[in-house]
Amino acid sequence: MNEKQRLWLMFPTKLVTRPVLWELGRQFPVITNVRQASVTEEIGIVSLSLEGEREEIKKAIAWLEELGVNVEPVEINTIEG
Amino acid sequence: MDKPSPFFSNLKCRECGRLYPKQAIHVCDFDFGPLEAAYDYDAIRPVLTRAAIESRPHTMWRYRELLPIDGEPTVGTQVGFTPLVKADRLARALGIRELYVKNDTVNYPTLSFKDRVVSVALSRARELGFKVVACASTGNLANSVAANAASAGLKSYVLIPADLEQGKVLGSLVYGTNVIGIHGAYDQVNRLCSEIAGKYGWGFVNVNLRPYYAEGSKSMGYEICEQLGWRIPQHTVIPMASGSLLTKIHKAYGEFARLGLVENAPFAVYGAQATGCAPIAHAMKRGTDIVKPVPKPETIAKSLAIGTPADGYYAIHAMKQTGGSAEDVTDDEVVAGIRLLAECEGIFAETAGGVTVSCAKKLIETGKIPRDGSAVLCITGHGLKTQEAIAGKCGEPRLIKPSLREFEEHVYSKDTAAA
Ligand SMILES: Cc1ncc(COP(=O)(O)O)c(C=O)c1O
Ligand SMILES: [Zn+2]
Repeated sequence: MNEKQRLWLMFPTKLVTRPVLWELGRQFPVITNVRQASVTEEIGIVSLSLEGEREEIKKAIAWLEELGVNVEPVEINTIEG
Repeated sequence: MDKPSPFFSNLKCRECGRLYPKQAIHVCDFDFGPLEAAYDYDAIRPVLTRAAIESRPHTMWRYRELLPIDGEPTVGTQVGFTPLVKADRLARALGIRELYVKNDTVNYPTLSFKDRVVSVALSRARELGFKVVACASTGNLANSVAANAASAGLKSYVLIPADLEQGKVLGSLVYGTNVIGIHGAYDQVNRLCSEIAGKYGWGFVNVNLRPYYAEGSKSMGYEICEQLGWRIPQHTVIPMASGSLLTKIHKAYGEFARLGLVENAPFAVYGAQATGCAPIAHAMKRGTDIVKPVPKPETIAKSLAIGTPADGYYAIHAMKQTGGSAEDVTDDEVVAGIRLLAECEGIFAETAGGVTVSCAKKLIETGKIPRDGSAVLCITGHGLKTQEAIAGKCGEPRLIKPSLREFEEHVYSKDTAAA
């Protein structure tokens, strides 16, 4: 069963110029859909939806995190004071 | 079903301005921007006059046209209208001409400003037909959801990090809620909660009900204006976790000016954080609106320890736009702030209050808030909830035997010699 997850990605300086989302699309059977992006020399922030099998989405997220990308659900924090 | 409110019209994306129906949704489909309640101010203006407000009961619901529900509030109808204290002794200690303390340590029923947001969220949850409500929290929000859900007869779940202090756990358990402790790192807990919120069709107060929930904080701003005799304070110092309270007080002042309830005078808002978790204050000091997450918050001000603040960006813009600024203080300064407020004004605040007082002190010392100005400090939670933060740091009782000689020798003679 397909599901969709909405995420904010934050790219550190060293990854700003690497085609990370292209690589992700080649490695995992998930549909990437960029909804918003702001990229400076120092940091890249991208809002992205990932659609596919739950397990594949999980693997794709784990791969991003392994690379050093910060991955958050769109509800950036669900824990409050 | 209630008739739709003629005043609260839509949800609206803060990024692109697209309008959405008033449902349990919280982000824009298009750009993932947060949704916010939008109002028809032209319809509100003739109805919400000073006289109309003054004729209503002393609760936050006296401003109900500006709160995002359709019918009458059904949860937390007694919340709000806490004292605004003229704090002359604290003003002298901080070296400022005029100072007020907005005292939400005595908010009803759970002694923090969170009762304001929960009152709106649960009233709206009922209108939308939810039978189960939930939240993830490190304390105050959990206490408030548990208590208000109990009194409303709603089933509730509160998710908390597994290593929370006993006091905060008990302060939720007592209301008969379902308390779930989660092991694991903060970001994993976050991810689980957003998945739960998406999956079970519960009213998650700070996720799918967030547009409603967040608006409750505006009532603190409205009350401050009314209690000052219908004017906006020049300077307001506000503690920040997600940054929501600060952005909503900013919105509240703007709305009152727009409705002609107060004069459209210049004002500034200032944000306060603890150094051990100050992503918003640090971004503000660096002069950027890009908020870097703090993966491992380390501070006694746990109620403010949010490493990835959802409204950080908007809080920074509110501070910049009004000419305000942000400050952060160490744990020692937090304790000093709690004690100073207690000793000067007889108000026992939790750690967030210590953060606010000590940040205000710094803002005044550095001239960011002028000494000849007038300021309001938002004190948002009660000290009995965070006793461990100051345990052993306020001295010890002096122990004597039950004899007058002992009292004179160990207490009276020493105190008169010292005086
Ligand atoms: C006592 C207290 N003050 C202030 C805040 C800050 O709230 P916000 O997340 O709206 O910035 C919180 C909560 O998270 C709190 O518990
Ligand atoms: Zn949008």
